[in-house]
Amino acid sequence: MHHVRIEGWSARQSFLHRRDPRAKSLVLLTFLIAIGTADRRFAEIAACSVGLFLFAVITSRLPLGGILARSALVLPFSLTFALISYISGDAHRAWLLTGKSYLSALGVLVLMATTPLPQLLRGLEEMHVPRHLLMVMQFLYRYLFVISEEAQHMRAAGACRGGTLRGLQRRRAGFSAAAGILGVLFARSHARAQGVHYAMLSRGFSGSIPALDPLHFATMDAIFLAAGVALFSTLRLVAGAA
Amino acid sequence: MHIPDGFLSPGVWGTLDVIAIPAIGTLARRAQREFDEHKVPLLGVMGAFVFAAQMINFPVGIGTTGHLVGGALLAYALGPAAAAIVMTAILATQALIFQDGGILALGANVLNMAIAGVLAGYLPFQVWGRGPHRKAAIFLGGFLSLMVSAVLALSELTVSGVRMPPAVLGVSLSLFVVSAVLEGAITLAVVQALEAINPGFIRQPRAERSLAIWVLAGVSIFLSACGIALAASNPDGIERLIENAGIASHTQKLMVTPLSNYKLASAHYPWLGQALAGLAGLLVVYALCAFIGRAIRRSRRIASVAEGSA
Repeated sequence: MHHVRIEGWSARQSFLHRRDPRAKSLVLLTFLIAIGTADRRFAEIAACSVGLFLFAVITSRLPLGGILARSALVLPFSLTFALISYISGDAHRAWLLTGKSYLSALGVLVLMATTPLPQLLRGLEEMHVPRHLLMVMQFLYRYLFVISEEAQHMRAAGACRGGTLRGLQRRRAGFSAAAGILGVLFARSHARAQGVHYAMLSRGFSGSIPALDPLHFATMDAIFLAAGVALFSTLRLVAGAA
Repeated sequence: MHIPDGFLSPGVWGTLDVIAIPAIGTLARRAQREFDEHKVPLLGVMGAFVFAAQMINFPVGIGTTGHLVGGALLAYALGPAAAAIVMTAILATQALIFQDGGILALGANVLNMAIAGVLAGYLPFQVWGRGPHRKAAIFLGGFLSLMVSAVLALSELTVSGVRMPPAVLGVSLSLFVVSAVLEGAITLAVVQALEAINPGFIRQPRAERSLAIWVLAGVSIFLSACGIALAASNPDGIERLIENAGIASHTQKLMVTPLSNYKLASAHYPWLGQALAGLAGLLVVYALCAFIGRAIRRSRRIASVAEGSA
């Protein structure tokens, strides 16, 4: 499962891993905006950003091949639209769509591969993203794998019981069986949530999750933030002015 | 349909982000009020459930399967505000961890799927959910939740200048209809399975009707109807549509002050200015409705407080 790999990547140690999540997300945002608003001289910006990201990936001891392949998850969608644009005679847009979506995905992936999700969420909380939403995300991520595994078990069990029927009959039976699986999965998830909730209440949960290691915005983070924002905005402005 | 970064023009993602951020803030506060904060694990686990539900395939035709998308189901189980928050959390997780949908485009995706989709899915249930047409309402909710978000996404892409030949548009619109019908059927089947286990899982629509939700959901459906018209007409048709609607001249004026940069940019890209004007017009309507809805709700609350004290 690929998300486990991201979690392994984000647990490594490097200069980029140690940076404050707030600094990293703001630099990423600048990069995304630079890419998102680029138009005519996109090739130059793209070439420079690819170089920067290759450097970042290698110095952060992340597997280059793995990162490039993961970012390519966006390509099936963008290539479809690029192909449509290309056929309707807009080759420039086809290239823009592919390049922009791939580079943006690469940027997000580098952030996620150097920042554990709980840390990123805490950074976002400091930046006044609604805490309620972030807590929902945290629980969602925590139980995603648990519930998915349960769904897999139930799917296997369903296949074992309904595998012999064929044709229309199977389709109808299969449809209601799948609905039944989801119903039971919902009920189990609900019960699990209740159990989790009781356990948390009994341990003194009062509506927020206490931070074990508070974030620390060091001088180096400020330098990194300033450098990153300056770099990407200059890149965008230079390419845009020419 | 998760829009990645790089597909929407700056004006479109910028405007949609600006709309989505306060909307999510408001909904988060509302969800917090409806669902006391301690119940946060339930919302998270329900998000995980919707994720996992994608693994369960529903056989539909020869060799084809579909799966639950879940916006409407969440709205029935948790109420629309909490469902919108859960859907937003799902979309953000997908964008961050699964490279599914962009970060700048998150505002657009949230508006399409978590806000418009969920509210449009909830509307039929709110109206007919207690009466004899309950089943039809549940089906229609599932259908609308998918259809509204898909059409909004499609029209945002069209407005951003991603050109699609009419043939492709027709094919994708009919694909949307098929998957929306499927979502309706799956939602209905799952709701029935759930109620067989425990009728308490599905919230009964409240007798007291919240005007804000009505208005917002109605506007979502209206916007996507505009979207169909927008997408169905060829790109030149957008311009005509805007002119016909008579909003172009007003919005051009409105746009000058806050977005003068884009006005400048639109000298180079004429389509950008038109696209912005059109979208801004639609969004102004949307924001206005939301605002009026809230104001009415507040004045009602004040009135009821005054009654109580009198």
